[in-house]
Order: sequence, then structure tokens, then C-alpha cells
Amino acid sequence: MRYLPLVLANLRRSPLRSLLTAAAIAFAIALVCLLRTMPEGLESILDYAASGTRVVVLNRAGFDYLLPYAHLQRLRALPGVASAASWTWYGGVIEVEKGVTFPSFATEPELVGEVFPDFGLGPEALAAFQSRRDGALVGRATAQSYGWKAGDRIALAGSVYPVDLELQIVEVLPHDLSPVLLFHREYLDQALQAVGASLDTASLFYVRVDDRARIEPLQAEIDALFRNSPAQTLSETEKEYFKNMFSALDAFVAITIAVTALVALCIVFIAANTASLSVRERAPELAVLKAIGFKKRLVFGLLVLEASVLALGGGAAGALGSLALTLGLHGAATSLMSQVGPLGSFVVTRAIMVEGLFLALFVGMLSGVVPSFGAARRGVAETLREVF
Amino acid sequence: MLPLRYSLRSLWVRRSRAALTVGVIALVVLAMGLLCGLVSSMKTSLAGAGSPRNLIVLRKGATSDGASALPLEVYQALRFFDGVARDEGGEPLVSPELVVQPFGMTRWGSRESAQVRGVEAPAFELRDEVRIRQGRRLRPSSAEAIVGRAAAARYAGAEPGGELALGNSRWRVVGIFESGGSALDSEIWVDARQLANDVKRPSPYSSLRLRVADGADVSALIRRIESDPRFALAASVESDYYAKQAASTDALYLVVAGLALLAGTGAAFGATNTLYAAVQARTREIGTLRALGFSRGAIALSFLLEAALMGLTGFGLGSGLAWLGALAISATVGDVSTFAMDGTALVSVRVGALDLAAAFALAIAISLGGALAPALRAARLRPIDALRKG
Repeated sequence: MRYLPLVLANLRRSPLRSLLTAAAIAFAIALVCLLRTMPEGLESILDYAASGTRVVVLNRAGFDYLLPYAHLQRLRALPGVASAASWTWYGGVIEVEKGVTFPSFATEPELVGEVFPDFGLGPEALAAFQSRRDGALVGRATAQSYGWKAGDRIALAGSVYPVDLELQIVEVLPHDLSPVLLFHREYLDQALQAVGASLDTASLFYVRVDDRARIEPLQAEIDALFRNSPAQTLSETEKEYFKNMFSALDAFVAITIAVTALVALCIVFIAANTASLSVRERAPELAVLKAIGFKKRLVFGLLVLEASVLALGGGAAGALGSLALTLGLHGAATSLMSQVGPLGSFVVTRAIMVEGLFLALFVGMLSGVVPSFGAARRGVAETLREVF
Repeated sequence: MLPLRYSLRSLWVRRSRAALTVGVIALVVLAMGLLCGLVSSMKTSLAGAGSPRNLIVLRKGATSDGASALPLEVYQALRFFDGVARDEGGEPLVSPELVVQPFGMTRWGSRESAQVRGVEAPAFELRDEVRIRQGRRLRPSSAEAIVGRAAAARYAGAEPGGELALGNSRWRVVGIFESGGSALDSEIWVDARQLANDVKRPSPYSSLRLRVADGADVSALIRRIESDPRFALAASVESDYYAKQAASTDALYLVVAGLALLAGTGAAFGATNTLYAAVQARTREIGTLRALGFSRGAIALSFLLEAALMGLTGFGLGSGLAWLGALAISATVGDVSTFAMDGTALVSVRVGALDLAAAFALAIAISLGGALAPALRAARLRPIDALRKG
């Protein structure tokens, strides 16, 4: 620590160069942090959105394929099933001219509390939802982007079913990520009966299991139960279900990450090259240091320390910059532009920032070690002879 | 003015350091070219679909084919609207279609939602760009399927003679079609009624496409369709509809361009550093040049020229790499799957002229932006100090 002033003085000697090197490292680390956020953000969204205690039952044929509503009773009777509810995709559209849409589902209001305890709805809210046949629960993200609050009346135009619905929001779900709007299944059924149709199907079933060890065997049991029915099922954990919805993007994300990471790495190396340049330039001075009694190891350590301080400084700036950028996007997504969309959900985490700092430290040490090793080892007389 | 050869030779003398800068610029160009190429390929494949002579009719409020549902009555009513073109036999050119995304198995065994379009005979007449490349068209009311070029490469059993398991049925593949690189290439076409039977949705169709008769008033026809009191419909010109779908990729373009720009800024700092070092190392040489009578401007210019040469070389190298990268992606992963219009869209990556132009601008900006400050420092050196130094 005694030598820290010396290290800092050395860095200040060519302030512009130090600044530029640090800036290059900062940009590269910022890039790496942003990229690491992509999969990590997705993963954390999945972990947050998925409870880990629910199984999603779909039609084996695809998301567009419906399941007989009668499946629900058989699911609820299975051993180990705490509760189960159906969701039916309504595809409601608001602001018909703009065509903006969000996921809207019909469900059983009396089951929401049992199947989705993680929604954090209190008994009064649940009772309020159950007591109004046109009541609706809406996710916070959706409520915010449309400026809705409890008590507002909204009109949804159906795009899948030939009926439009008027709903009254009874509660905003205190769950950050879920954009869904839920309303009474019976309300949709009655509207369909008025036009001569009826509702005897559902898009998917949510099955809550209390014993986590039951989740895996239960998936197989459910699929076996309906193997011979006209609508075979596909059971997945909630997390797998969300993940599979976005699996089409995997290749795209992988390419983006690979290419950008490559560039970031190269910037880091060019920065390291500049750092090593300054060590080479100082060879005579290092020889003088050794001539006046500095040990080899100390000289080496000082050089590595210098490069590391520079890289860490740059890395810290980069990591903080990426955090600021993602926080900014997050703010923009919730307040201004819905266009930013899911990008707003990705915020650089502390773990990623620490990772970025370690990467910067590693690069700094590498850029210090390679040239310093030579510089520290070279004979004093030999180097000094070159100078004079 | 200093000769170009001087700049070239100075670069050659410090070739290893110059190579580093060139290498980083090349990589930034690669990133910009490839990533922007990926997104703009998405865009062109969407924008390339659809004809300005067709209208697409959806349920009001639906954002795409797959999210819309139309009853049979709409089809029956719209067939006889004024302004709808007819074929030689007098049949209205109206194509009812059903878009469904059942799970499909890729050739490497992963499950994804495939884009399946149920069609009837007029679908082919309304789409001039669709050509059967192999095999034949599907027969009406049969469990036959034809697959788009990109879908054929992706899904298990999607070759003529093969069997596709989609939804609850198995479809016999009888042909492969091509639509000039448009979004239709990622689709699988089957008979509309067979598909409706398979999916058992409340409505048999999701959209209608109709050819506008020559000389008919398009906006009047749109108004007539949208104001029909029996249905809630929205009609738009088919090419406009796809252009709107394509516009959804703009945000993505900004994201990848932003990433490349970030990398470019980092690279510019690296370039500045390298050039500062070069100026420092050549202080004496610059002093000599000034003493010989070369002006400040000439010195600055020669440094900028040096940087521009590095930028150009980096661009040349990088665009070559981007081209190779696109080839490598096509050879290894094939078409890149993306999300578009609620389903899986397959995109073959092509680095276009516009993407290269963006990359070129970035390369030149990096090199000149990075060189500006060092060049000015070189120009400002006083010959007497410069010669005395070192």
C-alpha cells in the first residue's frame, strides 16, 4: 500500500493515455455486462414468473389447440394435486384501431387464490373478484401502460371468439412481470351462449402441487391419464412452458452474444496492448529503480498493480455505465415507450457487475504481467547501457 | 502535401501495431455487418411478402393472421363485393386462409411452433411469387402438405414423400415451394378445411385475401368491407400489412446497431491511443518534416490519411469476414429462427448493401474520430521543440 502513490503518479504521467485505455476497457466491460444480462435476465424473469410449484398442461398438438374442459375435474382428482384451474385464451383487444393487445384469459375466479398464491392477492381482493361477474384482475405492467386502476371499466374486443366483453377492473395484481388480464370463465360462456355458441374447452390448465417431489412424476401421470383421450396433453413445469415460448429466439440471441463478445474481447486486448506499451517505454526508468535497490519482485508487482488499477477503474466505469443504461431502459419501458418492451426487464445485476470487474482485473493483470515479466527480469546493466 | 506513399510506408514500419487497430476495426465491422444483416434479412423477408394488388381482411383489432378469426359468412359475403377481381371462369379471386401454429419437430428433435397455413385453390392465384420448386401442389380436401423452402430444411419429414406430424394429424408432403426469400418460405401449407378439422377452432378461417379488380377503387373497397355492419372487419393492402409487420423489427435493428456502436466507441479509444503513441514516437520525424517546409495542415492530413487507410483496410477485412460469417451461419445452423407475426419465422442471413454502408460509416468514424486528436497534436508540434526532443 505504501507504493500506491507511486503507482498513481505513474498513471497520471500520461493522463490522456490512461484515460483512453480505461475508456476502451470501460466500453468493452459495459458490452460484456449488457450481453451477460440477456440470458441472465431471461432466466431471472423465468424464475420470478414461474412459481416452481405449478405444472402447465397443454394440448400436445400446440398452443392453438384447445383441451376439453372436462379434463379439469380429472386433473383435480389426481393424488398430490392441491388445486387446478383452467385458462382460456380470449385474445382481447383494446384500442381496436391501434391493434394493441396483451394476454387475456378466462378462468375460474374461485380458484385463482388457490392456484396462484404467489399473486399475493388478499382475501378481500379475491372476494371482490369473485363477487362481480364482469370483474377482472390485471397485471401491473398492463395496468401501468394503459393507466388503469381498480374500478375502471374497459371494453375488450374478442379476436378469437365472436363476442366483445365489458369488464370492470377489481384489482391490479401486485406481481411485477405478469401482464395478463384474468376474468370470469362463466362471463365469457354466457356471452357465447347469447350468440348461440358455448364454451366447453380451455387453452391450458394450471395444476398446483404442494410437494415439489411430486412435480416430475405427476407430469408423466397426467400425460398417461389422457393418452387415449381425443386431446392428448403435454405437461411441463411452468418454467419450461415460458422458456419454450421463446425458444425460437435462441439462435438469434446466441449469434448476437457470440459476435459482440468477440469484439469486446478484442477491444480489451488492444487496451492491454497499450498498457504494455507504457511498460516497454519505461524500461530505462525501471532499470534505475532496480539500480537503487528495488527488488525484482517489487518492480514486477508495481507494474502489475498499475495495469490492474487502470483496468479496474475502466471496468468499474463500464459496469456502472451498463447498469445506468439498463435502469434507464427499464424506466423508459415502464413510463414512456412500450416499444422498448421486454428490453426494459433486463437490468444488470450485482453478480454480473462483479463478474465484469473480475474480467477487467484479469485483463489488467494480463496486460501488466506479460511485459512486466520481461522488464523486471532484464539485467540492470544491460538496460542502462541501452539508455546511456 | 505529403505523398500517399509516406502514409503507407509509415503504416508498414509500424505494421504490428497498425494490424491490431485494423483487426479491431475489422471485428467491429464484422459485428455491425452481421448483426444488422441478420435483422435486415428479417425485415426484407417480411417486407418482400404481399402484393399491392391484394387486400388482406382480418377481424378488427387482430394484429396478424394468426391472431384473427373469421366466420364462414364473411367469406361468403365478401366474394360478391364490387371491386373483387374474378378469374377466367368468373370465380371471385378470394382466398380464405387459416393460420395455426401447431408444435412441429425440427430435424434435430426440438419442439417449436411451426407456421402452418390452411389454403384453398385461390391461394396460389393470389400469390404470383409462390412457385412449386419440387413435386406438385396439394390436392384440395386431402391430408397433403407443401412446405416452404426454409421450412423444408428445418422440420423432420418435410421432404416430398415424407410425412409431417403437425397438430393431431399426419400430413403427406407432396411438394416444396419457394417465394423468393419472403416470409412465406417458412410456412407449411395444407388444406384449409383439413386444418380447421384438426385444430377444431370456433371459426374456420383467420383471414381472407382478395385480389382487387383492375381499375377498381381500392380505398372504396376497404371502406365498404370495414363499414359492413354484419361483421367487425379490418382490411388493408397486403403489402402494407407486411410492411407494418416488418416495421416491428426496427426496434431490434436499433438494439444491435447500438451494441455495434458501443463496440465501435471502445475501438475508437483504442485507435486514438495507438495513434498518440505513433505521434509520440515520430516526434522527431515530424519536426524534420516541418523544418523541411511541410505545413501543419499537410502533417495533420497525412495522419488522418493513415487512419483512414487503416479504417478502409479494416472495413475490407471486416466485410469479408461478415460475408464469410453469414455463409458459415447458413452452412452450420441454416436459417436462423426468429419471432415474427406470432410464429416462427426462418431467416437466411444475408449481409446487404445497406448493412455494409452502415458498417463502412462506422469504420471510417472510428478511424477518423480516433485520429483527429492525435493528428492535431502532431500538427501543433513546434519544429524546434520536436527536433530537440529525444
